[in-house]
Amino acid sequence: MVRRARYLPSPMDAVSRSWVDGLRTLGRQHDLTVARLRALLLRAACREVWRRRATLHVAGAELDDLAHQAADDAVVAILAKLDGFRGDSRFTTWAYKFVMLEVSTKIGRHFARASPARIDEVDWEQIPDRLTDLPEQRVERRELLATLRRAVDEELSERQRRVFVAVALNEVPMDALAHELGSNRNAIYKTLFDARLKLKASLAAAGHALEGSRS
Amino acid sequence: MSDPTTLDQLLAADAADVGCDDTFEVLDRHVEAELAGEDASRRYPGAALHLRNCPACREDHAGLHAAAGEE
Repeated sequence: MVRRARYLPSPMDAVSRSWVDGLRTLGRQHDLTVARLRALLLRAACREVWRRRATLHVAGAELDDLAHQAADDAVVAILAKLDGFRGDSRFTTWAYKFVMLEVSTKIGRHFARASPARIDEVDWEQIPDRLTDLPEQRVERRELLATLRRAVDEELSERQRRVFVAVALNEVPMDALAHELGSNRNAIYKTLFDARLKLKASLAAAGHALEGSRS
Repeated sequence: MSDPTTLDQLLAADAADVGCDDTFEVLDRHVEAELAGEDASRRYPGAALHLRNCPACREDHAGLHAAAGEE
């Protein structure tokens, strides 16, 4: 058995190679390949917005419009990043991840326009109904939630509080918040991560250690 | 708040989590490993951890898994 050295690139499969060649070439062949790619991504985007429709509060033409926008922007992103495709996966799988990201971005923008109130407001009364691992004893439960609420209000920076409340408590899509704050998903997640660390430390300091979490 | 969760999940933060950008970088390979029946979390442990803790990337992963699985 021949072993390839780890630094050698993966061989690109023939179908993926044909996609890449078609997109890299100029003229009619390029245009035909771009059109085929857009059609492929549009089908994926339509299926994806349909899969997520329950959380969207969008229907009909607006849903179609969202899918078209996602497919268009994914084509642009793919053409810009084509040199980064090494054939480590099928070309279509690599391409689909761009359309999934664009669908999330479009949904986020739609959410930010449609539900701005959910980003900042938190109903602490509803939290015990959702958390399934709170202590059974009422006193312990009340103390834990009071510690959590105090830590959210007092320990977090304003940005951390806003991100934690929106994403973790109110289930606002991270891409909606990124749009609202003029940021990006990765930066929002880093802020959420730091907020979670602070809150865990506050709970631990108050004697409420959590299970199964390393930091 | 709607879906049930645990406090542990609400506050999940792990130092081995590689974040959104690095997870996106390997997401196609991660999904193909899953579709091939491999243990993707062993090949991409930091990304697998991130997918557990990041709702946005988890949603993209679910969509990509469905799309690539239909090929």
